[in-house]
Amino acid sequence: MRTLIKIAWRNLWRNRRRTILTASAVVLALFLALIMRSMQFGSYEQMISAGVSQVGDLQVHDTGYQANQSIDRAFFYRKSMGKTLAGIQGITRVLPGLKTFSLSSYGKQTKGVLISGINPVLQNQQNHLSGKIIQGKYPTGDHNDVLLGDKLAEFLKMKVGDTLVLLGQGYRGITAYGIYKVSGIFHLPSLQMNSELVYMNLKAAQDFVYPYQSGLLTSLSVFLKDPAKLESKKKEIEHALDSDFEVISWKTMLSDILQTIKVDNISGQIMLLILYIIAAFGIFSTILMMTMEKRRQYAIMVSIGMERRRLVWVSIFETFIISIIGIIIGLLLASPVIYYLHFHPIPITGDMAKMYLEFNIEPVLPFSIKAHVFLSQTIIVLVLSLLSSLYPIIYLSRFNILNAFRH
Amino acid sequence: MSIIEAKNIYKVYNETKVPVNALNGVDLKIEEGEFTAIVGPSGSGKTTLLNILGGLDLPSKGDIFIEGTNLKDLSSRQLINFRLHNIGFVFQSYNLIPVLTAKENTEFILELQKVPKKERMQKALELLEAVGIADKVDHKPGQLSGGQQQRVAVARALASQPRFIIADEPTANLDSRSTNELLEIMAEMNRKYHSTFIFATHDQRVMDKAHRIVTIDDGKIIGDETFKGR
Ligand SMILES: Nc1ncnc2c1ncn2[C@@H]1O[C@H](COP(=O)(O)OP(=O)(O)OP(=O)(O)O)[C@@H](O)[C@H]1O
Ligand SMILES: [Mg+2]
Repeated sequence: MRTLIKIAWRNLWRNRRRTILTASAVVLALFLALIMRSMQFGSYEQMISAGVSQVGDLQVHDTGYQANQSIDRAFFYRKSMGKTLAGIQGITRVLPGLKTFSLSSYGKQTKGVLISGINPVLQNQQNHLSGKIIQGKYPTGDHNDVLLGDKLAEFLKMKVGDTLVLLGQGYRGITAYGIYKVSGIFHLPSLQMNSELVYMNLKAAQDFVYPYQSGLLTSLSVFLKDPAKLESKKKEIEHALDSDFEVISWKTMLSDILQTIKVDNISGQIMLLILYIIAAFGIFSTILMMTMEKRRQYAIMVSIGMERRRLVWVSIFETFIISIIGIIIGLLLASPVIYYLHFHPIPITGDMAKMYLEFNIEPVLPFSIKAHVFLSQTIIVLVLSLLSSLYPIIYLSRFNILNAFRH
Repeated sequence: MSIIEAKNIYKVYNETKVPVNALNGVDLKIEEGEFTAIVGPSGSGKTTLLNILGGLDLPSKGDIFIEGTNLKDLSSRQLINFRLHNIGFVFQSYNLIPVLTAKENTEFILELQKVPKKERMQKALELLEAVGIADKVDHKPGQLSGGQQQRVAVARALASQPRFIIADEPTANLDSRSTNELLEIMAEMNRKYHSTFIFATHDQRVMDKAHRIVTIDDGKIIGDETFKGR
């Protein structure tokens, strides 16, 4: 075996230039593929984590709420639920939430808004909402003050200290009605949120939709320590709670983001395919040439008693040596670039930036340094090189030695 | 028992298209220790016969027995293994693996035979010394003359301790001095190790060294002379 590797190695360096050229094709393909994929997956990860930080890895609802998000599918929080969730390992945070649509008005202006009842302290720990306040202050403790998005405040012509009137449908058909002082105005990256969101203390929101019994919620957002355990934790929570509740993963809640990613990923895969076809063709033609020009030598090796099975290894080693050199150099070149761009992401400007903001995502291009990006590309190159040595392998296990002598 | 016994060998090339009758009923016995030349005009069937005797090709009709083994009975893999242990080859040219040194080339066949490393080295060096290129053992074929390359090929063929060595025009690409040297070496190996050589040639000087000359024409043996004195 060692001799076969030695022969393969020396065969490669007999025609140094061709080998270097072929390895360079691998390097280039892998380098471009890595940069491309790292950028793609980086932006996917960014989109997902922005989404997840809003909705949580999992949400507990009353059964049916996901399909029909009406206030009538709210549920009353029980102490036992908190205990049950606290008993499950790997949950870092549980945020209670109550969402309902309502009409808002100030002076002559009216507008439909989304009221989000939150626990201001927990919410702040989760996504640092207090840092987004541009006027007024972030409320703490129990009171009825509300926070408005800047676009909404602009539309309603309101300032901090003004009083907002809310009128809507409450729980179980009652009419919800209330007057609230604006304590602060926030600016989030998302245009939609800025123009329709009203944050309210959870308690106040509960009183707004149903003042007769406390603890009404539409969701419990659950945040996990290890996002990879999503499915197993989902099952665990489903088992622990009774069947009145549904547990929905972010993959369902953010299915539009996943769909966007899927479509984008296809175009990425097509680019990769083209890139790799070029590289594979380079390896293939080199290995084929090397095999063909050594027909006579191989015929002599078989004549004197070398099994074809072993001869085939020479060709396989030649292919692998080229691709491994290409992979190592490709990884060495791409990794520093990717690591740099991971920690210093490229800022996005113009229309693209606006689109990012609409998805509530910071407009930068972060690069992914996840192992799977590197691993998958390396495996693809190895598989392709194995495939491109397939023809020489077939040739070597079949060729007629006497014909080879005549060439 | 003869080392080789060829019985009524026929070989037809291109049986389906334009058939060429390369061998037409050859009977031949080769005994241990012979130093035999196969001679005949170009196209007479020398190469065809040697390929069949060496198990590189199969006859269209007839049988080859090598020490009692009928080559027909072997699978293609068994045949390769049979060649490895029983038959040595020296081809006309480009016999050697170009990326391996003279020593590595000689060791290579021993490695195929799974001879241990130390023994391999020893044997390779001994044989390379015997064929007169002890000072060039670390040279690659490209750094050796044609004659020297052929001597390495002889050393490699001998290294495997075959029952016989087949050489198809081993001197065809050599000048007269190298031809003489190579024949001297082959003859000496024949004496020293009692190795059996069968070689095809056009070359009168090579014929002059042979102990037996088998003449072939049109795929038939038309003469078989033994020279006791040589
Ligand atoms: N693969 C082949 N296909 C068809 N015909 C062949 C093939 N090999 C040899 N022949 C024919 O068989 C006959 C014998 O050829 P062979 O090579 O055995 O002759 P030779 O005695 O070795 O000749 P030379 O002295 O020129 O080497 C020739 O007529 C040749 O054309
Ligand atoms: Mg011939």
